[in-house]
Amino acid sequence: MSSNMIMLKSSDGASFEIEEAAARKSKIIANMIEVECVDEDKAIPLQNVTGNILALVIEYCNKHIVDDDDDVATEEASEEEEEAKKKKVDDWEAEFMNSMSLETMFELLLAANYLNIKSLIDLVCQTIANNIKDKTPEEVRKIFSIENDFTPEEEEEIRKENAWAFG
Amino acid sequence: MKRRSIMKPIPTDLITEVFSRLPAKSVARFRTLSKQWALKLRSPDFTELFLRRSSNRPRFLFAVERSGEWLFFSSPQPQNPSSSPVVAVDYHTKFSGDVSRYICSYDSGLIYFPDMWIPNVASPVICNPISGMYVSLPDLERYRKARGFLGFDPIEKQFKVLSEAYVFCSLRDHHQILTLGSGELSWRSNTIQCTDYDRSLSEGICINGVVYYLAATCRESSCVIVSFDVRSEEFKFIDADCFSEHFDESRGRPNSNLEGVSNVLEMFIATVRMDRPTNTIKLNLVNYKGKLGAIDWKFPNNADGKRTLELRLWVLEDVEKQEWLKNIYTLPENEVLESCDFSVAGVTASGDIVLAMKHICNPFYVFYFNPERNTLQSVEIQGFGANLEAPENRGTVYAFVDHVEDLSVYDAKQLKSSVSNVKHICSCCNKEAHPTFQYEKAKTTETQETEETVGKLKTEEEEDKEKE
Repeated sequence: MSSNMIMLKSSDGASFEIEEAAARKSKIIANMIEVECVDEDKAIPLQNVTGNILALVIEYCNKHIVDDDDDVATEEASEEEEEAKKKKVDDWEAEFMNSMSLETMFELLLAANYLNIKSLIDLVCQTIANNIKDKTPEEVRKIFSIENDFTPEEEEEIRKENAWAFG
Repeated sequence: MKRRSIMKPIPTDLITEVFSRLPAKSVARFRTLSKQWALKLRSPDFTELFLRRSSNRPRFLFAVERSGEWLFFSSPQPQNPSSSPVVAVDYHTKFSGDVSRYICSYDSGLIYFPDMWIPNVASPVICNPISGMYVSLPDLERYRKARGFLGFDPIEKQFKVLSEAYVFCSLRDHHQILTLGSGELSWRSNTIQCTDYDRSLSEGICINGVVYYLAATCRESSCVIVSFDVRSEEFKFIDADCFSEHFDESRGRPNSNLEGVSNVLEMFIATVRMDRPTNTIKLNLVNYKGKLGAIDWKFPNNADGKRTLELRLWVLEDVEKQEWLKNIYTLPENEVLESCDFSVAGVTASGDIVLAMKHICNPFYVFYFNPERNTLQSVEIQGFGANLEAPENRGTVYAFVDHVEDLSVYDAKQLKSSVSNVKHICSCCNKEAHPTFQYEKAKTTETQETEETVGKLKTEEEEDKEKE
């Protein structure tokens, strides 16, 4: 594993040093590295990600530095080891997302989307889904800034169609 | 630069990603958010995305039967039992009035009951156990404990029911078929050609649009697997001589409760009184990684007096050549499993054979046996509620693996009625006598009891309706 380090710079000017292998979790950064538009001594500017969120992204990437890309290498590992490793990652992810505010989750989701880190998008989307699954439509409208454009009659009608879901 | 007080707006495609990971019930509720979301959450694209996501997190479905009443629960189905040794069930719905007891057929998210009294007329019913939506099918004049098999054709995306006729009558047309559709529902029998057989011996299983069940042939001591292609409605027989020992067992002693019954009439009466299918053998058909499999078990007598469980698994390796592959596994010791009644819930996509306790109790376990690794792991399932766990009214559990939520099954225009409305009707017309006195009598006492005991599980809406 190469230990090349690269620099990332957040929208609010904070700089972070990260192993290239970890940064490659982001398809955007991986592409930049491929086409060699990364200067050894110049930080990659990420205009859409603030420092506190980028710190979370980097924490996530460092933790996942050896998984999906290394499938071939780990195939030989025994299934027990594999399971133990997966459990460790699952536990870490649960801890990582635990007690994160909905607002932070949203920013993290936007950052993961911008940087194109698929497994982080999955993780955050599922956590938000778990978070809102029991909420009322009114609460969910507020969370996602969705405007209720139904007339009362229309709303009544569509509620009726989906009545079982309000039990 | 950063606005701390206001949530950053999330683009629609990311909200869609979030919503695709919700339970179907939340999706249905969030259709009332706005016009855009009402359309979006019904669109074929979203339905497909949702199915893809929910296929990645299959669930256990638990149908708990107690005195003609079915309660439905589901729970996460851990891929790796050692990392989630405890999971909790969600309660979904309750269907009351099943008099065919102990028979239901599950496929692709829906359940078929051959004989259900809702609201107060007996008819076959197809229901969605999660939403409580159902449709009553035209009545079939036949022995009420006759089996029915629900199957789903994944190409035409269509459900069909194959219903068997009388069990004790030799002159019978064997089958009637009904297609679940938006038009008028009716049973058909004219187009079907099936070689004659005596009677079905097992519940059915539908794999990739083909329903399979074990049946006794008209010849002495022999059985076959009947396969029914849901789309073409063609029947085929598959050689199943390897199961004839089961058949002999079922002939010799059809059921331990019937021991000592000498003549046929007595046996008929005893069977009817037992209120359960007459011809059931201890062989479970399963979907083994897309192939038809059959599982049974026994406790061989060991020299050292230990009680070890032996599972036998047959897999139909080649349908055309009718080749069965048989494997025998001695399970690692497990005191709980060896001392309880259990049933085969199925085989997971990764090849774990899942066994579930037969009766609700506390603690309640399912067991994963992995034949390749010879591991036996248990997962505790919590949340059935103290009332179902109580020994005096503990329910019988029918567990199913790989239950995947599919919105198209929830949006099925065919399932128009809702079981929550049925409760409403029933509480209003208490005085109206049902056609069958005996059943009504039994039901009244049952209702009183369950209103109290299952009160905890009732949804607020139902309670509101009852107050009205």
